[in-house]
Amino acid sequence: MNSIEEILWNYIDGNCTAEEQSIIKSLIAEDEAYRLKYQELVSLDKEFSAIELDEPSMAFTYNVMETIRNENAMVPLKARINKKIIIGITIFFAVTLVAMLVMVFASVNWSAASVPVNLTYSVKMPNIDPGKTKIAVEGFVFFDVILALYLLDGYLRKKALARQA
Amino acid sequence: MQSKLSDTELIEQTLAGNQAAYADLVKRHQRFVFTLAMRFAKVREDAEEIAQDCFIKAYRSLASFQGQSKFSTWLYSIVYTTAMTFLRKKRVDTDSIDDENAIIQLENRPSGYDVNNAENKSRSFYLNQAIEQLLPDDAAIITMFYKGEQSLEEIAQALGMEANTVKVKLFRARQRLKEKLERNLKHEAKELI
Repeated sequence: MNSIEEILWNYIDGNCTAEEQSIIKSLIAEDEAYRLKYQELVSLDKEFSAIELDEPSMAFTYNVMETIRNENAMVPLKARINKKIIIGITIFFAVTLVAMLVMVFASVNWSAASVPVNLTYSVKMPNIDPGKTKIAVEGFVFFDVILALYLLDGYLRKKALARQA
Repeated sequence: MQSKLSDTELIEQTLAGNQAAYADLVKRHQRFVFTLAMRFAKVREDAEEIAQDCFIKAYRSLASFQGQSKFSTWLYSIVYTTAMTFLRKKRVDTDSIDDENAIIQLENRPSGYDVNNAENKSRSFYLNQAIEQLLPDDAAIITMFYKGEQSLEEIAQALGMEANTVKVKLFRARQRLKEKLERNLKHEAKELI
């Protein structure tokens, strides 16, 4: 069975049915013990409602947002790219390739073997200066080596940073 | 200045990539979340860490918030679990330095009578002191009920309990708070005499 206090708290909190409410209301009006307890609990309820909230430090919001910003910045690029976009691009290229292949195979004349082949065309090769070609090839190799060293340096730096973290 | 937009609108804007909207949400709820964290941690630095952790966790899983309950109810459930995990972890970490911790706790507690604080010793001061002396669960339920604008059902949802259990706990917490408040006031009156 509920104590007077429990019954009255339910009444104050509004957790009673309409019928219970009218019974308690009349009890408060008629019974001195109920009336005194009710007054005490109402004043306590008022006091509890006036509890003060604590204040966090001034930089609280800033600290939270800064942590979130740092977390977002640390997400690797591959994790930030929407996978749906990648799948879409893949499907586009796959469909294009398949369509091209279908068109090519559809346009091939499979009976072409019976057509006589004319090999009388003369093919003229371009006139290339061996001296100039050598310089071009050396330049190209030099550029490739520099590029490879640059990329290797970047890769090693990233690796070293990841190890430090 | 805080935004006049509702929590739901701010959440929608945050999900659309507007981080300033989330900052508004943090500003709106930080005092209550911090107070709730204080009920568990009792130390300001720990409470601030818990509260920050809660907002970061809430941001990470904001997309999973379905809007079936109030944002505050959802947020308070995060506070409760985070605070519990924090306390469990802290208990493990400080098992060997219990005595030292007790001294720190005593130092952080408000003293019985302090000339400098005499002016501040209004009834609300004693009420806050009494709340600090309650068990974390009792203090959290009282705070959520009176300051968090949460119904018994919402508190139950946030704490992962039955509404009836919360009702009983609230009743007992009020009784304990009343007892502690009376004891503190009696003790103060004796000291003044």
